[in-house]
Amino acid sequence: MSEKVITGGCQCGAVRFRMNDRPTDVSICHCRMCQKAFGNYIAPLVSVRDDDFTWTRGAPDWFQSSSQVRRGFCGKCGTPLAYDAPTGLAIAAGAFDDPASLPPIVQYGTEGAMPFFAELHRLPGRTTMEDVEAAPFLADLVSYQHPDHDTENWPGERRP
Amino acid sequence: MITGGCQCGALRYQFEGPLSRTGVCHCRMCQKAGGNFGLAFVTAEKLVWTRGEPGTFRSSPAFERGFCRDCGTPLFMRGEGEAHDVTIGTLDDPEAVERISTQIGLEDKCRWFDTIADAHASEQGYSRPEGERRSFQHPDHDTDHWHSRSER
Repeated sequence: MSEKVITGGCQCGAVRFRMNDRPTDVSICHCRMCQKAFGNYIAPLVSVRDDDFTWTRGAPDWFQSSSQVRRGFCGKCGTPLAYDAPTGLAIAAGAFDDPASLPPIVQYGTEGAMPFFAELHRLPGRTTMEDVEAAPFLADLVSYQHPDHDTENWPGERRP
Repeated sequence: MITGGCQCGALRYQFEGPLSRTGVCHCRMCQKAGGNFGLAFVTAEKLVWTRGEPGTFRSSPAFERGFCRDCGTPLFMRGEGEAHDVTIGTLDDPEAVERISTQIGLEDKCRWFDTIADAHASEQGYSRPEGERRSFQHPDHDTDHWHSRSER
């Protein structure tokens, strides 16, 4: 497999994808439609070309969010996966197996930016295990999330 | 009363508030569930579904995540016996959340997250085809009747 190949998928692993080239166009969008589709302050999107991109396991379900755009998601776990517009397909950056390798270079829809967004990074913070006293279940948590790499068979043995 | 719901409108919820227990989580589970760089939430005591029933995915033994089966919008995460932590983007008026209080899951925070708001701001792009065309997104308020348009 080429070093350029990068992979990703939804939380439960029912949908997996592969991209055959390093992405160059990573953005965040603040518009209200992207906020609501992702349930969050932004949609982070990686533009892909049809000939570089493949759904390798399963396929997304789609919601037609406007006359021009449809949005793909996993029908089994809900992970937002895709934005499909006349200008091309884009994939949710957080669904890639290594989202830290995808820093955004441009922001769209800034008229919709949430007032606190630019200050989020100044907030006090903790790691997950620093919260273990308040949330004891973290101590022996077993994740049912698909691992951050392709798998031959899924669900794995850990699933209930 | 605080209201909200998914993008297509098949799911609507309400709770009394206040919108005071807030946070953004950077952990890899929240990143992947949200397809995003961090996931912001507000704790919603006594949340009531006023339309539809969410789909759920049990992401670990004592924790489930709720989403709309028709449009995929991530709506909440919830520990067993706990209140719903609602995703703030699904609130009809997310700007009513005056401040996010804390960051958690710092071990998986993207190293460049602190400068994300410095990225070049474009005046055109993704929002344009959506913003200027007919939207099928549910409006940011309750409705008596609504038909969503999903492709299964």
